[in-house]
Amino acid sequence: MSSRPNYSNNKGNEADDIDPSKRKITVMPTEGGKEDETCKTFVFNKEDHTLGNSLRYVIMKNPDTQFCGYSIPHPSEDKINFRIQTYGKPAKDVLDKGLNDLNSICSHVLRTFETSVNDHKRRNQSTDVEMRENSVG
Amino acid sequence: MPVMLRSSNCVLSGKSPAEMSKLNECPMDPGGYFIVKGVEKVVLIQEQLSKNRMIVDTDVGRKGTVVCSVTSSTHERKSKTDVIVKHEKYYLKHNSFSEDIPVAIVFKAMGFESEQEFVQMIGSEEEVLGAVAPCLEECHKAGVFTQLQALKHIGNRIRQRRMWGGPKKTKVDEARDVLHGVVLAHVPVTEWNFKLKAVYLALMVRRVIQAQCGLVRGDDRDYYGNKRLELAGSLISLLFEDLFKKFNAELKKIADLTIPKPRAAQFDIVKHMRQDQITNGLVHAISSGNWTIKRFKMDRAGVTQVLSRLSYISALGMMTRISSQFEKTRKVSGPRSLQPSQWGMLCPSDTPEGEACGLVKNLALMTHITTDHDEAPIVRLAFNLGVEDIQLLSGAEITSKYVYMVFLNGNILGVIRNYKRLVSTFRLMRRAGYINEFVSICPNHAHRCVYISSDAGRVCRPYIIVNKGRPLVTSKHIQELSQGFRCFEDFLKEGLVEYLDVNEENDCMISLYEKEITMATTHLEIEPFTILGVCAGLIPYPHHNQSPRNTYQCAMGKQAMGTIGYNQRNRIDTLMYLLCYPQAPLVKSKTIELIHFDKLPAGQNATVAVMSYSGYDIEDALVINKASLDRGFGRCLVYRKQQCTMKRYANQTFDKVMGPMVDATTRKPVWRHSALDTDGICAPGEKIENKQVFVNKWMPTVTMSPLSSTDQDKQPEYREVPISYKGPEPSFIEKVMISSNPEEAFLIKILLRQTRRPEIGDKFSSRHGQKGVCGLIVPQADMPFSDTGICPDIIMNPHGYPSRMTVGKLMELLGSKAGVLDGKFHYGTAFGGDKVVDLSADLIRHGYNYLGKDYVTSGITGEPLSAYIYFGPIYYQKLKHMVLDKMHARAKGPRAVLTRQPTEGRSRDGGLRLGEMERDCLIGYGASMLLLERLMISSDAFEVDVCEQCGLLGYLGWCQYCKSSKNVSTLKMPYACKLLFQELLSMNIVPRLSLKRYNEV
Amino acid sequence: MERIKEIRTRVELKEHGLENVHSTDFPGSYDGYDDTWSQEKFEKNFKVEIGRLTADELEFDMIGIDAAIANAFRRILLAEVPTMAIEKVHIYNNTSIIQDEVLAHRLGLIPIKADPRMFEYKQDAEAEPTDTDTIQFELKVKCTRNTHVKDATDPDDLYKNHKVMTSHMKWIPIGNQAQIFKEGEIRPVIDDILIAKLRPGQELDLKLFCVKGIGQDHAKFSPVATASYRLLPEITLLKPVTGKLAHKLKNCFTPGVIEIDNVNGESKARVAHPRKDTCSREVFRHDDLKDLVKLTRVRDHFIFSVESTGILPPEVLVSQAIQVLIAKVREVKRELDVYK
Repeated sequence: MSSRPNYSNNKGNEADDIDPSKRKITVMPTEGGKEDETCKTFVFNKEDHTLGNSLRYVIMKNPDTQFCGYSIPHPSEDKINFRIQTYGKPAKDVLDKGLNDLNSICSHVLRTFETSVNDHKRRNQSTDVEMRENSVG
Repeated sequence: MPVMLRSSNCVLSGKSPAEMSKLNECPMDPGGYFIVKGVEKVVLIQEQLSKNRMIVDTDVGRKGTVVCSVTSSTHERKSKTDVIVKHEKYYLKHNSFSEDIPVAIVFKAMGFESEQEFVQMIGSEEEVLGAVAPCLEECHKAGVFTQLQALKHIGNRIRQRRMWGGPKKTKVDEARDVLHGVVLAHVPVTEWNFKLKAVYLALMVRRVIQAQCGLVRGDDRDYYGNKRLELAGSLISLLFEDLFKKFNAELKKIADLTIPKPRAAQFDIVKHMRQDQITNGLVHAISSGNWTIKRFKMDRAGVTQVLSRLSYISALGMMTRISSQFEKTRKVSGPRSLQPSQWGMLCPSDTPEGEACGLVKNLALMTHITTDHDEAPIVRLAFNLGVEDIQLLSGAEITSKYVYMVFLNGNILGVIRNYKRLVSTFRLMRRAGYINEFVSICPNHAHRCVYISSDAGRVCRPYIIVNKGRPLVTSKHIQELSQGFRCFEDFLKEGLVEYLDVNEENDCMISLYEKEITMATTHLEIEPFTILGVCAGLIPYPHHNQSPRNTYQCAMGKQAMGTIGYNQRNRIDTLMYLLCYPQAPLVKSKTIELIHFDKLPAGQNATVAVMSYSGYDIEDALVINKASLDRGFGRCLVYRKQQCTMKRYANQTFDKVMGPMVDATTRKPVWRHSALDTDGICAPGEKIENKQVFVNKWMPTVTMSPLSSTDQDKQPEYREVPISYKGPEPSFIEKVMISSNPEEAFLIKILLRQTRRPEIGDKFSSRHGQKGVCGLIVPQADMPFSDTGICPDIIMNPHGYPSRMTVGKLMELLGSKAGVLDGKFHYGTAFGGDKVVDLSADLIRHGYNYLGKDYVTSGITGEPLSAYIYFGPIYYQKLKHMVLDKMHARAKGPRAVLTRQPTEGRSRDGGLRLGEMERDCLIGYGASMLLLERLMISSDAFEVDVCEQCGLLGYLGWCQYCKSSKNVSTLKMPYACKLLFQELLSMNIVPRLSLKRYNEV
Repeated sequence: MERIKEIRTRVELKEHGLENVHSTDFPGSYDGYDDTWSQEKFEKNFKVEIGRLTADELEFDMIGIDAAIANAFRRILLAEVPTMAIEKVHIYNNTSIIQDEVLAHRLGLIPIKADPRMFEYKQDAEAEPTDTDTIQFELKVKCTRNTHVKDATDPDDLYKNHKVMTSHMKWIPIGNQAQIFKEGEIRPVIDDILIAKLRPGQELDLKLFCVKGIGQDHAKFSPVATASYRLLPEITLLKPVTGKLAHKLKNCFTPGVIEIDNVNGESKARVAHPRKDTCSREVFRHDDLKDLVKLTRVRDHFIFSVESTGILPPEVLVSQAIQVLIAKVREVKRELDVYK
């Protein structure tokens, strides 16, 4: 699948681009400058509640997570701030696991859905095909 | 002569809708306005105190003073006569007298030398006699006993007026003339018989005495029976009369000058008539709105207004508008407040807010304004019904307590013993059609009078007549009406329905509903909702709203975009707002059908969820669904006119239009000219951006001096004066019209079009005075959705309800929701409409909650919301206020020439003013550097050279006063300050600056 | 324990509001429950049941998943599954009553039957259209008077071509599109959408360019009329309801939800098809029934309803939506790996 054009910044997104607003993910600098691996705010550019909320749910299911939440800092900015606090594991790993879990959930849902659709179609082949032809024609 | 549209003389009168559309006219257009110099002008209805009626005013100035005043108005003149009380004596006060005349002297001057005679006319009651006695005494003291003496007395007190021509009159004659023609001018005096006038004056005195004794209360000036409305017809006729008389006078003057001279040709009067004088007079008055009539010393401004074509409703609303003569600045509540007598005649809701509140009113739906009607048949009828002529009666008989006095249009007709029979017979005759239906009669028991009126400008409205507890209009009649066998006029002719004016209403028992009829009831209201006007008629369930909300909606309905007429696309207005997809409201009212608002709507039915969302909905802001906007919700078209003229100049040169300038290399028009057609005028359909040119107009450099004969062949020099577009957003050319105006110059009119989708900051309003701006546009996916998958177009904050108390809006939502489910329109007519229980039953039938509250899922989390949401369609109007027309920001830009300060206002790309109060804040806060920056550096900082020696301004480091550059230092000050110093210098005041180093102070 | 289970799995509908609307099954929330994510447990419980499938409508139940993820699918269906829609209109002539911009807007909203998976996003809006990113249509209509009809009043008889329909739109293949797509494979989904009305002498001459886009950018790219879900309603009778009350109860719900059984000559209410209930909460209006019923909804049972605009079959749309979410996750993951 080709990527959607990026009208706002047409330079294309190279991986080693320095401008943080063009990267998909950046990490918000911690206040006071102290690096803490367990508490991180990731900034996902060009994402909204769709990924934010589902990812939040999956990460919350992880017993290592102390807190997980996200916010859209301003409605005219197309980004979310995704905050993870853990009981000790690096936040990045928890995020990684969350993404993996979400990926496998989706894959399973897709698999199950397609089998169900195919089952349904097979079951109702005779009647369904008729109906469909009628409505299309 | 200007003709009122759709009047009997207009080409459009009596045309069917099909014929109207053939003429490119909108069949819904109400007419009633004039088109003068290409502008639609409305003559507003003028409200004023009725003429020729006695008004007794208690507490004028200080408490307890009583004045009875009459403003007489005849064809010739207008004058005001007062009877006042001064030191317990009665005086006649009039403009033509230099001082107040004791009434007794006036009576004597009128030929009533016997004191008994005129005192009896005033009255023979104890208190009257007591009150009059001091007057008689005063009369005796003044040495006035006979008519001649009285006339002399008056004659000496007549204010000298300029008299042209005519033999010089004696004082006595002059006094008699004034009494005859000026004082109480409307009371006729035939052959120096002052009887009628004396009776009238006596009655005025009697009223004052009665009011003093507290027997009768003073009249209320704000009472609507004492008001008369002047319509375009009477205003135009006044103006015409004035112009016609002027025309005749001028003609006579010319004739008088020319006829005595011997001439070969016969004098032809037609040649000397100035044809356009009357037309010009009318046209000028209508277009400027200045109504100047010398005879009446009338000089009114703002009588006409440009018809507002912002929406259909605003045009209709303008036709029903009544403007009052009261001053807007006066802070009196009386004339502004709603009078009970305005019931049913004027809309109780439709009045502007602010200074004109209550002074500008609107007619209710069924109000009729009477026109003048001939008095003679009424007089005849009255005498036949037993009214005794006043001329034949003595004073005692007139003031007898057994009789009622009969008035016709303010004049005394006579007296009658059995007034009840007179009134009832009179009404029967009227219902039978023997006299005009707009003549009113009513007894006034306090005054012991019967008033008959047939004059123009009374407001009245029709009622169903009730006889013996039964309304005369039955269901059979209504059936015939709906089948078209009958019309309203038939009801009137058959005496089933009659018009009552405000005064006659007082003598009737009117019941609002049929069920409330008792045996005493005389009339039945036709429909209660007709007490509202056109604008208030749009509001669904207005009787459930807090009253100011209806008033707000009346003002806002006029700003709503929508459709303005079927011929809207043929018009070229300076500004026209249209809605892309207007919809008829789901909850309509009878008024909406009557005025065809459903055919020319201004708004859209939006699905509204009443809930809080995101914090961008505080202070009435709305959250709008982006997908709805994508699909055309609230999309509007803005049309704007640009025009230019091609002038011809005194020296035979003229403007010309040149083709587009072509780029040398690409052979394409340059960017600025890219919208131009080959003829140099922009082409329809073309997009035009900021600074692009509409018309490539060139103007001769020399326009005044005639071209010298030597360079006759030489082409005159031209310079470019392009008409270019200004605006942040591009427009499209809708159409170009080339025409000419009366000065034979070409006129190029260009109609520009913009299509706008709603954006943050655009203003919307429901029909309940609930306005709000768009605060946030949210993607559809983030919107909450109901079980059936419906998501709202608009989210409205529930905080808008408790303080506004617009219950009607809640009911509208229920009505719309039920209507949508059943596929029909519901009614929200005032004082009626579909009942909430029925609407709830409909909702239940369709499986919805009876309260209209739905189970809703959040689009963000996907979980249900913890509250049920009030959810359904509400009719929303898009108002003309849009951010695009208002947005303004400036970093640097133009400055005013004189002060070098930034210009003011958005149109001049001006700066944002840091005003006095803002300055006070900064001072209070001690932010001196910010203050310096705002008030000087960012505004008009200017470097000046100041001489420390003399303290005057120098120039280029040189002090001209000291002839030295030794002590000149440079400093910054506001240019305005430097300007002030220079202006002071020019007034011989020397301002000197004394400078010190800031660290040495 | 019963109560905790209910709190975890049911949304409760009370008379004036809802309770337990949020998912709370996170580790540490409840003692005695292991809420740690487990793929096996999920796969065991997760079910998809297709209810109704037609050419442009699909109703299916998704059971055993959290609202956060089900909602993500719904949101993607609305906003992020790409379709083709008219984006640019070249107007050569438009003498109709309808304004150029409004006409273009109307055209944009017409669903175009073309498989978006066969096209690429147009990278530069100003670039020349190519066969991989653009579909071109032509709309050339001129209205004329119908000469042999006299004294008719119906515009259908009086004029020819006075209604511009989507059927007037003609596909103009670009490049080798004619070889890839069969005739009729690319066309407006519905043929009788009214675009504009004309009168004799008026004409339209337009070129329409369709590009690929997503609903987030403009609703015209949204592949669904709507996509939504509701939770499965559940009605519990707390006490047996008999006699007149039973009939009254039956009338408080959508027909078919409550059935009446005849037990020993007495009618007794039974919850038959709670799925049909529209949750109007009508029972709560009756004081005598109020306390006999409990209305709840199953938190993890989603009855999805997808109404396609007809561009793609609804089942394909759902698969696409899931794939979009997978793609999103993978993109973030890839970025995260790069970041590491």
